Amino acid sequence: MSQVALTARRAGRRFLSSLPALLGVLVFTFLLMRVLPGDPAVFFASGPTAGKEEIETIRKQMGLDKPMPEQLGRYLVDVAQGNLGRSLTTGQPVSADLKERLPASLELTFAALFIALLSAVPLGIAAALRPGSVVDHGVRLLCALGVCVPTFVSGLLLIYVFYYLLGYAPDPTGRVDIFTSLPPRATGFLLIDFALAGDFEGWRAAASQLVLPAFTMALFVVAPLARITRAAMLSSLGSDFVRTARSIGLSRWRIIVVYALRNAILPVLTITGIVFSTMLGANVLVEKVFSWPGVASYALDALLASDYAPVQGFVLLMAFIFVLVNLVIDILYGIADPRISVE
Amino acid sequence: MIDVFLKPTRRQWLMGATALVAVSLTAPAAHAQSRAETLRYVTGAVVNTLDPTMPGSTREAFAVSLSTYDRLVSFGRKQLNGKWVFDLDTVRGELAESYDVSPDGLKITFHLRKDAKFQDGTPVTAEDVKWSLDRAVTANSLAKAQLLTGSLTSPDQFKVIDPYTFEVTLPKPDKLALPNLATVYPVIFNSKVAKAHATADDPWAQNWLKENTAGSGAFVIETFKPAEQVILKRNDAWNRGPANSQAAFKRLIVQTVPEASTRANLVERGDADIVIDLQPTDAAALEAKGKLKVISTPQYNAISFISFNNKIPPFDNVNVRKAIAYALPYDDMFKAALFGRGFPLYGATWTDGKAPSGGFPIPQPVKLDLAKAKEYLAAAGMPDGFSTTFSFNVGQANVAEPMAALLKESLAKIGIKVEIQKLPDAQMSTLINEKKLPFFTENIVAWLPSMDYFYRNFYIGNIRWNYSSLDNPQITEIAQAARFEQDKAKYEAMGRELNTLNFEIMPQIPIWQASQDAVMAPSIEGYTYQFHRQVDYRDLSRK
Repeated sequence: MSQVALTARRAGRRFLSSLPALLGVLVFTFLLMRVLPGDPAVFFASGPTAGKEEIETIRKQMGLDKPMPEQLGRYLVDVAQGNLGRSLTTGQPVSADLKERLPASLELTFAALFIALLSAVPLGIAAALRPGSVVDHGVRLLCALGVCVPTFVSGLLLIYVFYYLLGYAPDPTGRVDIFTSLPPRATGFLLIDFALAGDFEGWRAAASQLVLPAFTMALFVVAPLARITRAAMLSSLGSDFVRTARSIGLSRWRIIVVYALRNAILPVLTITGIVFSTMLGANVLVEKVFSWPGVASYALDALLASDYAPVQGFVLLMAFIFVLVNLVIDILYGIADPRISVE
Repeated sequence: MIDVFLKPTRRQWLMGATALVAVSLTAPAAHAQSRAETLRYVTGAVVNTLDPTMPGSTREAFAVSLSTYDRLVSFGRKQLNGKWVFDLDTVRGELAESYDVSPDGLKITFHLRKDAKFQDGTPVTAEDVKWSLDRAVTANSLAKAQLLTGSLTSPDQFKVIDPYTFEVTLPKPDKLALPNLATVYPVIFNSKVAKAHATADDPWAQNWLKENTAGSGAFVIETFKPAEQVILKRNDAWNRGPANSQAAFKRLIVQTVPEASTRANLVERGDADIVIDLQPTDAAALEAKGKLKVISTPQYNAISFISFNNKIPPFDNVNVRKAIAYALPYDDMFKAALFGRGFPLYGATWTDGKAPSGGFPIPQPVKLDLAKAKEYLAAAGMPDGFSTTFSFNVGQANVAEPMAALLKESLAKIGIKVEIQKLPDAQMSTLINEKKLPFFTENIVAWLPSMDYFYRNFYIGNIRWNYSSLDNPQITEIAQAARFEQDKAKYEAMGRELNTLNFEIMPQIPIWQASQDAVMAPSIEGYTYQFHRQVDYRDLSRK
């Protein structure tokens, strides 16, 4: 069997084994939402004339008039059929909402992660090459700043400077300038869809809209990535094989990139996976500040309104993505270091 | 094709350059033109349905439906302290050209406009009106409870006389029957289109109408992204504006921008045309800068309260309630919470202890007076005070938080220890509904702000909106009778009596009517404060 098929089979097996965990997440969130105080029916029947009757109507609509075990049973059956229920906040089926919004969150997260890796890895390497130097301290300072400034502060600051004062950035609302017509939806990733449609003016509009939120998010995660890179590089630069490589007179560039970095990349990969999953869910503040129509702000709105279905759907989606990301990281491990198999 | 890029000839260079110049010259011009004809409205809330009667529909959804649907009638406007506000007492035709009320007040006959057409081009007939109003009183929706307040409860009350004449019969002459038909719920649907999408489970096409419109309104939905944005284009055939005109704007963008400071930036930079839900600080700052038009209207159909549950001790004791009423630092709260943007409902003087007016709400004769507060507390048998919790919901934190802090500080001076409790909105609603909160702040809004409507909906019965859980037979009786009182002088007398009584038992303390700050580009004209506290986009035009 070829290496690829083998990896795929292992990955498939690995995925199946994580299904019970997903089921656990499902049941746990279901119960958690119902334990939280606040009756969604009362909240949604908050119109000027809403009385007992309206509350009962909404309760029935949400299926909350049934006993809890029956609600859970129905919910599990529905989920198995791909039906995640209906959101009262948006009035849409949750699966449709998530499908519409997930690409927005992913696009933003990927862009941010790309920017973060592109700056963090070189920074980490630079810091590791001269530990204790000015560069090292500079990187440490930068990381501290990035971590300690909350994203909504840095986001609002970036908006204030680049949109409000300087006018360089487009207005920070949504994924594309409101007057730009959207490309036909192929992937949901605007950059890809615009490129497919050959609309480069639109592509530019979407890309420029993406810059500020992506930088805001990137700032926040540069620190863990750079610190891990630095630590891993330090240990790998100090190891025997690097000393050997130096002693036989290999070029400095070759030693750093091929020998040291390749060996230091594993912990960076691990942390990248974790950072990615956290970013996707934790970037609710960035999504709020930039009116980004992503899944995290959607889930937060739903949570504040005690709108059960979207929150449950969101948690399930996050769990699913976490499983997938771990799988991808495991596979990348195998590529970075063939001694490690997916099993 | 490829060699064009690899080795462009001189001619191709020229062509390319010309094209680039042409694009860069024309693009901004086209953009600017569409911008002037477009109204961009940004809001923190979301539009979640196109059918305003759907349970759970948001206020923003109401505003959108006002532009996509017509009603039989709508409110006129009047000036209140120099600001345009809706006028409950002048009801003018919208789809109805005119209406007659029979002398006994039991029959209202509507004469429909013969030139009114739905957005698909078919004429609006009395059949459509009948179907729509039948739906409003029959289907499980928000409309039912609202129309009930105007004695509109059954399809039997609605009769088609001929294609352009429609009759409503009332069991009793009800002052609020006609105004009710001007609210956002009794919209007129294109019944043929709606029926085509009805199913056996859903005879009123509620599912379909959530995401589609079948109306005759001033705007047509172009794109609808729930909770993100709605883009509408003008219905050129619509002529129900002032002087039988169409809407002024060709395009309308309603966009959700959750961050309040971003909304302020957008309107200040000129990227958005109008916004109504800024934080009081931002509105005050923008007004001070003087670059934008800020129209600040006290919400004359809304009231903010400090409420007690009159059934939970010690608030079941009227002296405790009065003690608190005289221990509140009203002026400081008004400045700290609202920056003074609103209409205070305290600090009045009632010469003989009787209410000077039968309107509601009217300023109450209370002010900060700690000596008096202590007297009342002693009279209640609690000279040393007591401990309690004061609750508000997170959604109102920017107003309620400073208010709560000042209240706590001031009440401590008379021995009442207050613990502040900040609750998530859904939890707060639930606790209020279950009547479990002893002491809290809340707001009410009445679409039809007549005196009896306020008393009937907010001081009677075991409903959520009766925040104080008041059960006073005298108030109940007068308020119910006032509903059907046709004689204006008698109605006024009833109002005075209710107001006096209400002050004596002090079930809750009205504190102010917060302003609605509409911040807009200087070129925007026609803004009117509406009963639904949203922008009616049809009112607006650009100079």
